[in-house]
Amino acid sequence: MTGEFALDIAGTRLMLLAAKALYWPERQVMCVADVHFGKAAAYRALGQPVPHGTTTDNLARLDGLLAAYPCRQLVFLGDFLHARGARTAATMAMLHTWRQRHPTLVCTLVRGNHDLRAGDPPPELDIEIVDEPLLMGPLALRHIPAVHAGHHVIAGHEHPVFRLVGRGRQQVRLPCFHTIAHMTVLPSFGDFTGGHAVSAGSDSRIVVTDGNGVWPVPAALSAR
Amino acid sequence: MSGSTSLAARWFEQQGWKPFKFQREVWQAVRQGVSGLLHATTGSGKTYAVWLAALNCYAAPAKASPRDAGAALAATANGKPARKRAPPAPALTVLWITPMRALAADTERALNAPLAGMGIPWSVGVRTGDTSSTQRARQAQRLPTALITTPESLSLMLTRPDADGLFGDLRLVVVDEWHELIGNKRGVQLQLALARLRHWRPGLVVWGLSATLGNLAYALEVLVPQGGGRLVQGKMAKDLVIDTLLPPSLERFPWAGHLGLRMLPLVVEQLEGTGTALVFTNTRSQCELWFQALLDARPDWAGLIALHHGSLDRAVREWVEQALKAGQLKAVVCTSSLDLGVDFLPVERVLQIGSPKGVARLMQRAGRSGHAPGRPSRLTMVPTHSLELVESIAAQDAIAARQVEPRLSPCKPLDVLVQHLVTVALGGGFRPDLLRAEIAGCFAYRELTDPEWEWALAFVQHGGSSLGAYPDYHRAIPDQEGVWRVPSLQLARRHRMSVGTIVSDASMALKFWSKGGGGRSLGSVEESFIARLKPGDHLLFGGRLLELVRVHEMTAYVRPASGKKPAVPRWSGGRMPLSSELSDAIVARMDAAAHGHFDGPEMKLIQPLLEIQARWSALPTQTTLLAESLRSREGWHLFLYPYAGRNVHLGLASLLAWRIGQHRPHTFSIAVNDYGFELLSATEIDWQHSLGPDMFSAEQLLQDVIGSLNAGELAQRRFREIARISGLVFMGFPGAPKSTRQVQASSSLFYDVFRKYDPDNRLLTQAQQEVLRQELDVDRLGATLTRLQSRQLDLRVIQRPTPFAFPLMVERLRESLSSEKLGDRIARMVQELEQAAGAGAYAPEHDAALGARFDSAAPEELRVAGDGTRRRTRVRQPRARHGF
Repeated sequence: MTGEFALDIAGTRLMLLAAKALYWPERQVMCVADVHFGKAAAYRALGQPVPHGTTTDNLARLDGLLAAYPCRQLVFLGDFLHARGARTAATMAMLHTWRQRHPTLVCTLVRGNHDLRAGDPPPELDIEIVDEPLLMGPLALRHIPAVHAGHHVIAGHEHPVFRLVGRGRQQVRLPCFHTIAHMTVLPSFGDFTGGHAVSAGSDSRIVVTDGNGVWPVPAALSAR
Repeated sequence: MSGSTSLAARWFEQQGWKPFKFQREVWQAVRQGVSGLLHATTGSGKTYAVWLAALNCYAAPAKASPRDAGAALAATANGKPARKRAPPAPALTVLWITPMRALAADTERALNAPLAGMGIPWSVGVRTGDTSSTQRARQAQRLPTALITTPESLSLMLTRPDADGLFGDLRLVVVDEWHELIGNKRGVQLQLALARLRHWRPGLVVWGLSATLGNLAYALEVLVPQGGGRLVQGKMAKDLVIDTLLPPSLERFPWAGHLGLRMLPLVVEQLEGTGTALVFTNTRSQCELWFQALLDARPDWAGLIALHHGSLDRAVREWVEQALKAGQLKAVVCTSSLDLGVDFLPVERVLQIGSPKGVARLMQRAGRSGHAPGRPSRLTMVPTHSLELVESIAAQDAIAARQVEPRLSPCKPLDVLVQHLVTVALGGGFRPDLLRAEIAGCFAYRELTDPEWEWALAFVQHGGSSLGAYPDYHRAIPDQEGVWRVPSLQLARRHRMSVGTIVSDASMALKFWSKGGGGRSLGSVEESFIARLKPGDHLLFGGRLLELVRVHEMTAYVRPASGKKPAVPRWSGGRMPLSSELSDAIVARMDAAAHGHFDGPEMKLIQPLLEIQARWSALPTQTTLLAESLRSREGWHLFLYPYAGRNVHLGLASLLAWRIGQHRPHTFSIAVNDYGFELLSATEIDWQHSLGPDMFSAEQLLQDVIGSLNAGELAQRRFREIARISGLVFMGFPGAPKSTRQVQASSSLFYDVFRKYDPDNRLLTQAQQEVLRQELDVDRLGATLTRLQSRQLDLRVIQRPTPFAFPLMVERLRESLSSEKLGDRIARMVQELEQAAGAGAYAPEHDAALGARFDSAAPEELRVAGDGTRRRTRVRQPRARHGF
């Protein structure tokens, strides 16, 4: 078991991390997708009791990543805030405190579908906001997984999970990184987000994670 | 009042009838203000026992001549407003609770029948989920004298601010088919509503009507918890004739697989030789398949046979019921949707496809036939696999010995309580101390503790017991006078939309496709089923072959199709476990077989199969516990046959898996059926050594079962129902199905979040307890363990699957339980894949169990297996079946 998996692609090396993030050492860039900040708060505002703690946990995991890898830039691949109802004072205050802890870090949000409805993060969070795709060297960073001519796409949106099947009729459902041809889809980073099962073709690579380790699923057999 | 006694008696005389003793007993009891339970079968006159008792006591003939009053009433009954000059009917006096909306219309007819002749100016009305909004509006002005309604609609009425006044003249509540309600949360909801009504009307008389149960005295106590209730024995059930349709031959290695369709020619033959028949199936999918198969076999029966199940459009169901009553149909293939209700006089005979799984249910279904004078009730069981032959004869044994199952009320479900608190807060508000006493008067909550009560109050106030857990969330709060009320109209509306305890999967409307909009409605299917189909795929529904055109906004559009093999919708839903009464009778038969006694045609027929089982392994007896161990390419299998029903087996299997896993980390895949269970491990395990006597110890049972729950997936599924009833998750308004989807899709997510961030939430505790009680049946589990300890473990190492092991081995619905670290488990599974990839041999196929390991089985069995397999991958039946 290891906490990272090296993926050599588009002439550069990318690290798929057990913490459901992608790290690009060459540029010192960390990418996370689908954090859905304030989702629990948005549910609570609709009258559904969801326990507190998901935002704190999400931020703590981001802190852990930033401490473990030298980062100049943190890119959110869309769906930063879950909904308009997610913009509660408490959530915003937590985000603000977190942002102040990382004053030199460049933060960038590539707008996703949720961001269009939820609205951009407030300016005091000092997050640079761009529409997809954000081109960076050989990579195109975006929210929706769609190919981009001449670039390898790093995207989110799908919340991919993979059903790992073993002997004795065992199976486990796990968040995964999903690479097909010229595109790599990240698992959702947020703690209170669901998953969408993916099946892989022969030209794709699946790397599953349980939060502590990453495991590449043998290529020929990940297709079922 | 003595004069009014003759009201009922006189009417009986007019009809040329003579009241039965039990009818006079009920009339007398109601006159004395005594509540009670009447035990009677359908069609025995139980309706008139209680209804005429009510008229006797609470009605007076109109001043006008009976003829005029009758005319005025007839007009009301037709749904037209009564003529202006007729005086208004008396206020709501009798509530008639029915468990099924479909029964309401028939009940209305039955209650109206004697009114005109007796000259009683009462009005009778219906209020259920089907009642139109105009009728509701009229009822809002004035309720009829007798109102027929469901437990859900009654609770909804309790949310009205003027609820108290609404029931100001209420004298009698009749609970029809009480046996259907007592064992579930709908019954608990009704218990709470009755407590509310008794609080307002202390002298309220309550009568239940029940079919045969093993615990009638208990059923009475639940209904009349304050005591003093009277149990009246109705007319005894007529003689039941029960037999088995025997297959011409028995295949020892059984993979007909297809829901017993091998019996089709015999069933057709039986239907040819009889008048109207009901063909009961255990699932809706089976119902669709059998209907289609009958039509294929006898195309000339088109229009003469019909099908009936709960997912069909209401209009279709009503048409079928009417045609059945009118004697226009030869046969109806149905599910439990026709278990209850008025008599279908023309029905001569009942066929039961597959095991009824319980004695009471079998008797109930048998009783649907033979209501014409001089005819017996006749039921023929059609076994769908060989071992059901034994179930069939065992069921006859149990009926002969009158071993009928009891039904128990759920024990203080907090989700229903929480819902009720909001209901009462809406219906005039409450003071906690007073309401606490009222609720403690309910049988289900007689042992409610103070901490549980405090928690429920805190939950409606701010969502949880931990201080200010959910500040945005408060559904009822005390006002300045200390009366708890619902603070906002939006919350009130939302609550009224969610009243009820029936939880279904997200379902989609199914409609014919037509240009510019949807065509006729066909019924509903589960969303998860449609999600697996692509446009152009075929499906079978309502007896039609259809092609999916498109799916749009929670509606699936279809058009008629022909050709291609269709998929049959799978509806999840109650698969009843084998009851203790029936399983005892089965073990008795097995024991006899083990001692060489094969009495009765069913046992003679199955003798060869049991002899193979005995030769390759052994037969279970009343003093031994049979176990089998097998090493296959898939791993290390253990089969155990306690014959205790699938729920207990799931509990027992989880418990054993958990206890074995305490010694060394293991992951098990578990399959269960009503006869036994399988534990399958991918890593080596020595079953001989693992199955020590401590494995079956009843010590630390609860602790270990809870441990096994946390390692498994069961509690998560139960949580969904609880979250919905307590209002923790919201199913959405009608016409806003998107929110339903959102919430349903994420109920497992909710569960995970609660487990991680609010582990003390009592709804989680309840989910756990309900799994213990209902899914795993922990009481029966404890009793089973005790019984197993006294038996000798008979562990056989088998070389190939035995007739008993085979159906477990091919069972595809599996639970998993792991004591391994997730990371270790993933690493092992990935490594297995790597090795397999290296050898180029192994691929994790669905039906690996059906592969080469059956080299010892006869070739024709393999062929059938292949066919069944191919079909199953499309058809997605709930489980693989073991056939003749």
